[in-house]
Amino acid sequence: MFSLFIENIRISLTSIFENKTRSILTALGIIIGVLSVTLMGTLISGLDKSFEKSMSWLGKDILHISRYEWFSDMEWWEVKNRPKIQPDYVKKIRERSRYAIAIAPVMQRGASIEFKEQETRTEIFGTNQDYMETIETNIIEGRFFTRNEDASGARVVVIGYGLKKAFFGDQNPIGEYIKIDKIKFRVIGVLEEQGKFLGLFSVDKQAVLPFGAYKRIFSKRGWMRISVKVSEKFVSEGLDEISIIMRHLRGLKPTQKNDFAINQTKAFEKQYQGLKLAIGGTGLFITLLSLLVGGIGIMNVMFVSVKERTREIGVRKAIGATKSMIMLQFLMEAVTICFIAGLIGLFLAYLLSLFINKIFPSTLPISLATFSVLLSIIVGVISGLIPSYQAANLEPIDSLRYE
Amino acid sequence: MSLISLKNIEKIYNIGGEEVRALDGINLVIEENEYLAIMGASGSGKSTLMNMIGCLDTPSSGVYTFEEEMVHSMGDSQLASIRNRKIGFVFQTFNLLPKATALHNVEIPLIYANIKRGKRIKIAEDALASVGLSDRVNHKPNELSGGQRQRVAIARALVNKPSIILADEPTGNLDSKSSKEIMKIFNDLHRNGNTIILVTHEEDIASYAKRKIKLLDGKIIEDSNQAT
Repeated sequence: MFSLFIENIRISLTSIFENKTRSILTALGIIIGVLSVTLMGTLISGLDKSFEKSMSWLGKDILHISRYEWFSDMEWWEVKNRPKIQPDYVKKIRERSRYAIAIAPVMQRGASIEFKEQETRTEIFGTNQDYMETIETNIIEGRFFTRNEDASGARVVVIGYGLKKAFFGDQNPIGEYIKIDKIKFRVIGVLEEQGKFLGLFSVDKQAVLPFGAYKRIFSKRGWMRISVKVSEKFVSEGLDEISIIMRHLRGLKPTQKNDFAINQTKAFEKQYQGLKLAIGGTGLFITLLSLLVGGIGIMNVMFVSVKERTREIGVRKAIGATKSMIMLQFLMEAVTICFIAGLIGLFLAYLLSLFINKIFPSTLPISLATFSVLLSIIVGVISGLIPSYQAANLEPIDSLRYE
Repeated sequence: MSLISLKNIEKIYNIGGEEVRALDGINLVIEENEYLAIMGASGSGKSTLMNMIGCLDTPSSGVYTFEEEMVHSMGDSQLASIRNRKIGFVFQTFNLLPKATALHNVEIPLIYANIKRGKRIKIAEDALASVGLSDRVNHKPNELSGGQRQRVAIARALVNKPSIILADEPTGNLDSKSSKEIMKIFNDLHRNGNTIILVTHEEDIASYAKRKIKLLDGKIIEDSNQAT
C-alpha cells in the first residue's frame, strides 16, 4: 500500500505542476480561507492575552466604587447629578466593613512630568499604601510608599515601567528627583511592565503618589474612585455590604436608587465577551464562506481532471487498478492541492501576524496552525469525494474508448 | 484443464429499447501456449469478446472460467485483481501514460500488485530489456517512435508474468516495418511459452497466429482448429 501512496502523491504533484495556472487559481480560494481563519484566530488569541494582562491593572475581584457605572445603558441626565466620591469615605468604609481587606482611594488626573530636559504628559494617581493590594502588578525596583509617608504628605513617587525607560533608560531611578507639574518628587519605586490596555493606551507611563501629597498639591479635581479588595470567597457578600455602607453614607431612603456605582472587572469581561463573539462570529462566517467557495473550485477542477484523464483511468483499470485505488488517486490529488494551499495560507498568515503584532499584541498559536491545515485537508476530502467517486465508477471499456 | 473456457456466453445490450446481441452463445476453449487470432468486421462482436476475455466486461449470461476461477460471477475488485495478475493488455493506441517515463509506465502494474520498489524497478528494467529498450528506460512516450511505444506497452503487459497477452489491433497505428518488429516480438513470446490472443481485422497480421477464429453477428462462424 505504501508504494501506491507514493505513486498517488507523485501523480498528484505531476498533475498540479503540469497545470500551474489552474492549480494556483484553484488553490487561491483555500489559501484565502485558511488565511482568514488563521488571522481571525490570531487576532482573538491576541485580544484574549492583552485583555487578561489589561485586567490585572484593575485587579480581579476588586470592587471599584465610583460616581458612574463603567458600562451602563442609563441616560446621562439620570446620573449627571450624582454627588462625587469623597476621600473621607475610605475611613468610614474601613470602620464599618467586615469583608474589606484593603481600601484604596484612587484619584486621577493628567499632569506633565519632567526629568532634566525631558518632559512628558501622563496620568498621575493619588492613592494610599493599600493600592498595591488592589492591583495585580508588582514593584520591580525600590518599594511602595508607607502609611507614614502618606500621612505626612511626603513627596515621593512610584513610576510606571514606561516612564522609567523614557527618563532613565537602564539606569537606576531610585533616589532621583522628577518634577510633576513643576513640583519635585523623589522616585522610590518602579512598577512592573504591563503593556497597553486592550492594546489602546499604555498604563506604563503612570506615576503613583501618596494620597496626602496628591490632595495637597493637585487639589481635588479629576476622577476619584475607591478600590476595595474583599476576600475572594465573599465577593458577593462584600458587594452587598459595601453597597449598604455607601447608601448609608449618602443618606439614601429605601425607595431611592443608588447614586453611586460599584464596578467590577466582570463588567469589562462581559463587554469583552460580546466583542469577541461579534469578531469571532463574523470571522467564522467569512471563513466558512471562503472555504466553501474554495471547496467548490477544487471540486470543479477535479471534475475537469477526471474528464481529461478518462482514458488514463481506463488504462489503469485495465492493468489492475481497483475502484478504491482510482478513488484514492483522485481523492489524494484534491487533498494535495488543499494541503499545499493550506500551508501557503498559513505561511502568509504567519507573515501578516508578524506585521499585525507591531500594532497589536498577537501570536499565532500552534494549535490554530494545526487546525487550519487540518481544515484544508478536510475541505480537500469533501470536495474531492464526488469527482473521485465518479472516476472510480467509470466503466473501463468506455473510458478506454474515450477520445 | 483448459486455460480459458467460455460456455454459452451472451452479451446483450439494450440500446434505445432494442435488444442488441453483441455476443450470441459463444463457446470457446483456449489452451495454454496457444497463439490465437480473433477476426471479424467491425460490429461482429470481436471487441466485446476481447473485453470479455480480458475481464473488462462481464457476460449477461454464460460461464467463463479462467484457470478454474469463475470470472462471470466476480465483483469489481476481483476482476481488477485477475486483470492485474493474469492478463497483459496491448492496445492499438499504446495507452501509455504520457507524463511518465518508459520505466515508470512498465512499473505501474507492479505498484497495483503491491511489489516493493527495489524489486519493482529490477523487474521493469528486465521487461524493457526483453523488448530491446534497455537504452530508452528514462524516455517519455513522446520521445519514442510508434514502434518503441508499442514495445514499452508490451513490456508493461509482460511485467506481471501474465497467463495471457491480449493484443487489440497492436499494429493498427504502426508502419509496416514497425509492425513486423512487433509481430516478431509476439512470435518470440509465443515460442517462449506465452499464450497470445490477437484481435485484428487484418489477414496478414492474423496469419502470424496458429489458430484463427472468425466472428459474425456475435457468433463464431469459423475456427481453424475445428475446420473439417
